[in-house]
Amino acid sequence: MLNATTTEPQGTAPDGPSVVLRTVGLTRRYGKITAVDGLDLEVRRGQVFGFLGPNGSGKTTTIGMMLGLLRPTSGHVELFGVDTRRDLTGPLKRVGSVLEDASAYPHLSGRENLRVWSMIAGGVPDGRIDEMLSLVGLSERAGSKSRTYSLGMRQRLAIAGALLTGPDLVVMDEPTNGLDPAGMREIRQLIRDLGAMGKTIFVSSHLLGEVEQMCDHVAILKSGRLLMQGEVSALVGQATALEIQVTDIDGALGLLSGLDFVKSVRRDGPRLIVETAEERAADVSRALADKRIYLSELKTRQSSLEDVFLEMTEDS
Amino acid sequence: MTGLLRAEFLKLRKRWMPYVLFLLMLVGAAVLIWLIGYDGSHSDDPEYAASGLRTFAYPYSVPALLDSGQFWGSALFVAVLTTSTLATEHNWGTIRPALVGGVSRARYLLAKLLALTLVSTVALLLALGFGVLLSLWATSVADATVTYPANFTGGDFVLMVSRAALCILPYGLLAFTMTLISRSTALGIAGTMGYMMIEAIIVAALGTGGDILQGSRILFLGHSVGALIAENRFAGLEYESIAPRDLNAPDQPGVWTATAVIVAESALLLAGSFWVFLRRDVTVSHG
Repeated sequence: MLNATTTEPQGTAPDGPSVVLRTVGLTRRYGKITAVDGLDLEVRRGQVFGFLGPNGSGKTTTIGMMLGLLRPTSGHVELFGVDTRRDLTGPLKRVGSVLEDASAYPHLSGRENLRVWSMIAGGVPDGRIDEMLSLVGLSERAGSKSRTYSLGMRQRLAIAGALLTGPDLVVMDEPTNGLDPAGMREIRQLIRDLGAMGKTIFVSSHLLGEVEQMCDHVAILKSGRLLMQGEVSALVGQATALEIQVTDIDGALGLLSGLDFVKSVRRDGPRLIVETAEERAADVSRALADKRIYLSELKTRQSSLEDVFLEMTEDS
Repeated sequence: MTGLLRAEFLKLRKRWMPYVLFLLMLVGAAVLIWLIGYDGSHSDDPEYAASGLRTFAYPYSVPALLDSGQFWGSALFVAVLTTSTLATEHNWGTIRPALVGGVSRARYLLAKLLALTLVSTVALLLALGFGVLLSLWATSVADATVTYPANFTGGDFVLMVSRAALCILPYGLLAFTMTLISRSTALGIAGTMGYMMIEAIIVAALGTGGDILQGSRILFLGHSVGALIAENRFAGLEYESIAPRDLNAPDQPGVWTATAVIVAESALLLAGSFWVFLRRDVTVSHG
């Protein structure tokens, strides 16, 4: 397991606990299948926290347990320092959520959907609904029935609903699902803006580039188990790799995998990504040449979150 | 709770289904008064003609309207509205934003129950009022003389309506519970209506059996409901009904026994629905 350091102070800040979301040994089983296995997560105030994992890794199940929709088999969730087994509804009033498969009342307009959500939440200040519609770019279609909305528009409506009450923590499950590239960019920018405003954001995604662009902290989940959590900058910056093109890619793959100074090798299209120190480039070149495999290209690159993710999920 | 109720009313007000169901109730009242009652009173069969007269002529029409209204009001209006309102929240996924917004499950369910009760009460009372107006109109144009029953007061009218309302309650709760368990509109409606129809057949069949079989009818809601609806009649006088039940079944329970059974079974259904909803997972797809 890779551990990245956290720079934020521990303990409790004067205006409340700095840890806004914590899971302790969170586990959920469905019969013999363990969807989430002893998950210990910690999200601090002001973080934009990416929750990464392949499809089926347990992200949505974890979010369901965090928000009280699913009952944990064991373990528990703390929101704003409160154990949700003791009080769920109080802390949830400070959370805005965008769940997978954005849902809305199809027979109501976008504005009416937000009215319903505001009534359920106990009311919001005048003008707040229009402000949120404008924020997510739905002002012009606010009067149309939500059944006429595209998936992306419904997603944006769900985001408006999540932000309606000005929550301290925003939980988003795959918020860019179904959006076109422009829509994805808008949502990413919105999430960055919310982070800049000091909101704590917990966003699950299987899109690595997206998380790398939006988040400052990340946790990686696979098969219900936490592989790591830490700062994105620490993860991405700590490893370098060599990107090579060779005359015999299969031969090079086999050869380099056996070298003790090579951490890992994997294919990336016509190239190989060799996880090793930059100063080992000459050793890599020599080893290949000894086996009559010749380089046509060699360059160093800093590991992306995708490299880290693939390395961790493949290793495990 | 006010906000939750307002949200429920807004959602219901904007759906077409309650209006269609209400229209069906009005059509049912018109069919009972004019087609079955008024038209039937012109039958050559004197017994059927007298029964027809008691179906449309005010105030004898009130038990007839409440009898048919209780059955079809439960089966059509309350069951369909309840199941549709509950199940669509699951189908649309809109139950999740409500629950993760800091509303306790008990309050959420209570708000749904209160909103459905209020809407059903208002709609069924309006339908009854419409039926009474048709009855007054039909009485005024009828060529037969209608004798007003002695000692019939407004209090009696309220008591009759209350008995019918109490008889609707358990079927509404049955629909509520079945839908909560199945999370399906089709299963909720089919389950409730199917139970009502099959129960009517079983209660009638058990009535022809021995003491034990006859006694076992007390387990069925329909037997107690039949006893309370029968109590609404003016001096036990017969009328025509579009509700499939026998108001003259042998050994019907007394009014208080019937009331106790209905209240107890309603309480069980209510407790069951809350027990299930407070404990179950509100399903989300697994990522």
